[in-house]
Amino acid sequence: MRQGAARFAAATGAQREPTRIGSLLLLPIVLWAAAFVVAPAAIMLTYSFLERGTLGGVQWGTFTFDNYANVGNPIYLRIVVRSILYAGLTTLICLAAGYPVAYLIGRFDARWRNLLLMAVMVPFWTSFLIRTYAWVTILKTQGILNSLLLGIGVISEPLDMLYTPGAVVVGLVYTFLPFMILPIFTSVEKLDGALIEAALDLGAGPVRAFSRVIVPLTAPGISAGVLLVFVPALGIYAVNDILGGGRVDMIGNIIENQIKGNARNQPFGAALGTALLFTFGVAYYFVNQRQRTAEGRG
Amino acid sequence: MRARSNDWKRVVGALALATALACGGGEEEAAAPAAAPAADEARELNLFAWSEYLPQGVIDEFTAETGIQVNYERYGSNEEMLAKLTAGGTPYDLVQPSEYTVEAMVKEGLLVPLDKSLIPNLKNIGPEYMGLQHDPELAYSVPYMQGTVGIAVNTEKITEPVDSYAAVFQEKYKGRIVVLDDSREVVSWALESLGLSANDVTPETLEKVKPVLAKWLPLVKIYDSDSPKTSLLSGDVDLGIVWSGEGAILINEGGGQFAYVLPKEGAHMFIDSFAIPKGAQNFAGAHKFIDYILRPEVSVKISADFPYTNPNVEARKLLSEKELANGASYPPGSPKLETFVDIGAAAATVDALFTNAKAQAGS
Repeated sequence: MRQGAARFAAATGAQREPTRIGSLLLLPIVLWAAAFVVAPAAIMLTYSFLERGTLGGVQWGTFTFDNYANVGNPIYLRIVVRSILYAGLTTLICLAAGYPVAYLIGRFDARWRNLLLMAVMVPFWTSFLIRTYAWVTILKTQGILNSLLLGIGVISEPLDMLYTPGAVVVGLVYTFLPFMILPIFTSVEKLDGALIEAALDLGAGPVRAFSRVIVPLTAPGISAGVLLVFVPALGIYAVNDILGGGRVDMIGNIIENQIKGNARNQPFGAALGTALLFTFGVAYYFVNQRQRTAEGRG
Repeated sequence: MRARSNDWKRVVGALALATALACGGGEEEAAAPAAAPAADEARELNLFAWSEYLPQGVIDEFTAETGIQVNYERYGSNEEMLAKLTAGGTPYDLVQPSEYTVEAMVKEGLLVPLDKSLIPNLKNIGPEYMGLQHDPELAYSVPYMQGTVGIAVNTEKITEPVDSYAAVFQEKYKGRIVVLDDSREVVSWALESLGLSANDVTPETLEKVKPVLAKWLPLVKIYDSDSPKTSLLSGDVDLGIVWSGEGAILINEGGGQFAYVLPKEGAHMFIDSFAIPKGAQNFAGAHKFIDYILRPEVSVKISADFPYTNPNVEARKLLSEKELANGASYPPGSPKLETFVDIGAAAATVDALFTNAKAQAGS
C-alpha cells in the first residue's frame, strides 16, 4: 500500500525533487526577495538598535534598547492598541460583509461568476488615493450623501460624517473588502456541493450545515482573507489622514512622523516598524495554527 | 565549467541591470553625470524642492534659455528632504530648506558656501532678510519665499473678531477648527500664547504647554498640513491656523468671506531658501538657477501661482495692486513675528508631547 502510494506520487510528479536547472528558475525571485525584503528588514532591525542622529539619520557606534523601551511608552502603546482595534474591527466587518458575497459569486455559473468577479476588481483600476478622496466628496458636509439625504427628506440638518472615526472605518472596509472576497471565493469555488447535500440529507439544518461543513471547508480562504485584511490595515496611514482628518493617529502615522515629520527619529521609527513586523508574525502564526486545527478536525 | 560560470555571471549581470533599471530614474540620473564628461554634466541640474512651490513654466523657461535640464524632485517636509539627502543616492545640486533647517545643515556642514559673484541679482533681496539667526550673512542660503502661520476665518460663519490663539480655541468653536498637523508649529503657538518665545523649548516650558494643548486639541476637527484651505473652502470647518500662502488663496478664491489674521500673541515667520548641499555636482548651474529665480520678472510669476510674501523687493514693485493688498501675503501693520531656530534633539520630545496630547484628545 505504502509502496503503491509512493509510486503513484512519483508518477504524478507530486513528490519529485526539482532538478538543479529547475531550481535556477527560482533565482530571480530569491534575488528579488533578498534585495527588497530581507535587506530592508535587516537595515530596519539594525537601525532600531542605534541612536537618533542630529539630522534625522542614525548615530553609529552605540547599541541601545531605548527605542524598544519607547515603544512600550504609554503614549505609543495606546496608539498601537488602537491600531490593532481598528484593524480588527475592519477585518470583522470585511468578513461579515465579504463572506456572503464571495459565497454567492462562487455558487453562480461561470458566466455570471466572471462578470461579478470583474465587478469586485474594477476599483483596482483606479489609484487607491483617488478612490479615498472620492469618499471625501461623498461624506463631506456639503457632499453627495448629505445632499441626497436632505433631498429625500430623511434628515433636516447635514450629518457630520467626514473626519470622524466612523469615516475611517468606512474607508478601511472599502479599501480592504476585495482582499477578503477574493480568497474566500477561491475556497468556495472548490467547495463540493455534494458534501452540502449530504449534510442536509443526514439531517443537518442549514445553520448546522453552514457551521459544520461549509465554514470548515472554506477555512483556508477565510484565513487568507483575514491575514490579507488585518495585516495591511494595521500599517495603513493614508486613510485615517484623509478621512479621519488626522485626528485618529495609527501606528503607521507615528512611523511616518519619525522619518518624514518633526520628530526626525529614524531609530524609533525602525523600532516601531520591527514591532509591527513582529505583530504580523504573531497574527500569521495564530491564523495558521487555527487553520491546522480546523483541518485536523475536518 | 568555465563557460558555465561565465553564463552564470551574465545572468547575474543581466539581473543587476534589470534591477538597476527597475529602481527608477533617480538612480540612473545619479549614475549618468558621474560617468559622463564635464561638458554634459553642466547640462543637468538636480533640484530637490518643496512640492507645490515652483511653477513648471518657470523651470521650462530656464531650460529653454540655458539648455540646462532640470530634474525636479519634490518633498513635503524639511525632515523628508534631510532624510533623503543624508541617505545619499542622487547628488542634489539645489535644495530648499526652511530657516531652522538651514541652521541645522550649516551646523552639520551639509551646505556649501555660495559664490556671491555668480549671483548678481542677490541685491534684489530686501535688507530685512539679512542678519537673521539662521544665516546672518546669507552666506549659504538665498531667500525664495517668506510666509507666516496665522488664523484663517470664514467671516460669514464667524462674526466675532478672531485675532489671537486664545480666541480661536474657544469651546464654542469645537469641531469647527483646522490646524496644521505639525508638532513644532502647534507647540510654538502654545508657547506664544503663554507669552514665551516660540523657540523657548525646555522641559519646564514644555510642562506649561501640556495643559494648553489638553485644552486646545479636543476642539480641533482636522489636522492637515498639506492643504488646510480645502476643508475651509468646502465649509467643513470655519476657522483654522494655516500657512499664509493658503490664507492668500482663500482670500483670492473664497468669494470674499475669508480673512487672514496674525495672532497678536506672536506668530511663526518662515523663510524658505535655496541652498547648495555638499556633494553637489553642478555648482555653476545651481548658481545660475538661483540668479534666474531672483530676476524680478521671473519672481512675479512665482508669486502669481504661490502668493507667499516675496522677499524680492524689485519683484514686489511689479506685483499688482490686488496682490499687494492681500493681507495674507503682505500683512498690514507690524505684527510680532519669530523665525524658528534649530532645537536639535528636543524635536523628538516636542513630537512626543504633541502625539500624546492628540491621542488623548481623540479618545
